[in-house]
Amino acid sequence: MDKLVELENISKIYTNKNVLRNISLSINENQAIAILGGNGTGKSTLLRILAGIERPSSGKVHYLNKNIKIGYVPERFPKNIRFTPSEYLRYMGEMSGISKDYLTKRIKNLLHRFQLEGLDNHRIMELSKGNIQKVGLIQAIMQKPNLLILDEPLSGLDFESQEELVKIIGELKRQGTTVLITYHESHIFESIVDNTFLLHNGSISVTESIEKQSIKLLVVRNVDKSFVKEWGEILELEEKDQQLYLYVPVKESDVILSRVLQLNGSIEAVSTVTLNDMERSL
Amino acid sequence: MKALIKYTLHDYLRSHKYFPPISTFIILIFVYYSYTQNPVIDSYAISALIVYIISAWLCMSVLSLDSPVQRQVMILHLGGRNRYYLSKLIAVWIISLILILYAFIYPIIFGMFEEPVTLKIGLVSIVNLVFLSILGISVASLFSKVITESAVNSYGGLSLAIVISLAALGIYDALPLYLKNITWIIPPAASTQPILFNWNGESILDLSLFPFLWIIIYSLLLLFLFLTLAKRFQK
Repeated sequence: MDKLVELENISKIYTNKNVLRNISLSINENQAIAILGGNGTGKSTLLRILAGIERPSSGKVHYLNKNIKIGYVPERFPKNIRFTPSEYLRYMGEMSGISKDYLTKRIKNLLHRFQLEGLDNHRIMELSKGNIQKVGLIQAIMQKPNLLILDEPLSGLDFESQEELVKIIGELKRQGTTVLITYHESHIFESIVDNTFLLHNGSISVTESIEKQSIKLLVVRNVDKSFVKEWGEILELEEKDQQLYLYVPVKESDVILSRVLQLNGSIEAVSTVTLNDMERSL
Repeated sequence: MKALIKYTLHDYLRSHKYFPPISTFIILIFVYYSYTQNPVIDSYAISALIVYIISAWLCMSVLSLDSPVQRQVMILHLGGRNRYYLSKLIAVWIISLILILYAFIYPIIFGMFEEPVTLKIGLVSIVNLVFLSILGISVASLFSKVITESAVNSYGGLSLAIVISLAALGIYDALPLYLKNITWIIPPAASTQPILFNWNGESILDLSLFPFLWIIIYSLLLLFLFLTLAKRFQK
């Protein structure tokens, strides 16, 4: 598969907070990639950098196709738009250079698919959060982009619209679109996602199917936190009541347990959790 | 770019934010001509200063229409940041041109002048009005929400810049000889005023053209600075 975008040593610092550290990543054509991670881990920042609308503090973004068309659905689509959905979408389509005839058909079709037809005499600012989100989705997909970036696209969508979105993403993928997506607490995209990456402490790790595989939660005592922090296998680390809660991939759990024992630590509990459980408890 | 210009004008109309600057402009021109008979060249020169101030105000309000996220979405659709900002500034300029048309035609239609407007005087006055609108827009772009987040700094800074630019001739006279060159950095809004006040309207060749040219060079430099800063101030 040909490369579409390449990130080279991307770092992002916001007033003393290092959100992304030295991230290098290649995104191939015709792939669906999920970027997961807890709140505030820099997922949205990474997506904005990939879309080219935010500059990294250091590092470079290479678009292998210079005429790349990028569709972007922000996490919070602006609420104060003084146009009706079709007026707004028509303007956005014209800005992208889409022909008028195609635009008319495409807007009609997408408004129908997302059940927005009946609301087309209302301005976007008068719509509900979920319907505004649908307009945000349509503006990104109406031009059939090479790279579609969706930042938490499910928030506020009803179940039917979520399913319609998955169907449309599948269609776009078959037509050659590369999809980058972030989401929480949902398995709805599992069928279309090829690769999953986990953002943690500003670094990215390939976890082919961390969403599908389980994570072990090891509750340990009498181990120095500073030692544990150095262990690269740990996904998340939390300290509660003089105990350390270590979230580790299943296949690494034996190694971590034996290290804890070597350090004369005691193991209080071992349980299996999912990525969503981990995010909820952090 | 045409689509974004149309979008901006349509959005501005629906926002009703146009009302304060445009109504102020109409009232100022109306009040200015409330005494007849007025000298043509001087009156148009004063109108140009009003256009300069109102264009700056329009620029501030048009550049505050889009939220940062909406701006990002449109930059992606347009395929470039410069296209976005230039479209926005062109939209402001189109509104200014309509105001210029009003400022030019109103006194002619209602017979506010003591003499007829000749082609030469009309042409020079229109050029001066258009150039000062461009200068007003480019000065204001640097103080807009795109560059300056705080409204106090934004409107405060622009008001100060406008006052200084209107007082530039007085500042030049007051400064000692070795400091006079410092006035080159002041927006040249008043630079064509003495030339026009002293012009008899007979030949364009009697006019010193450099101050007119300087307004455009200065505006282009500011626009270049604005586009560079807008790129850098992006998060």
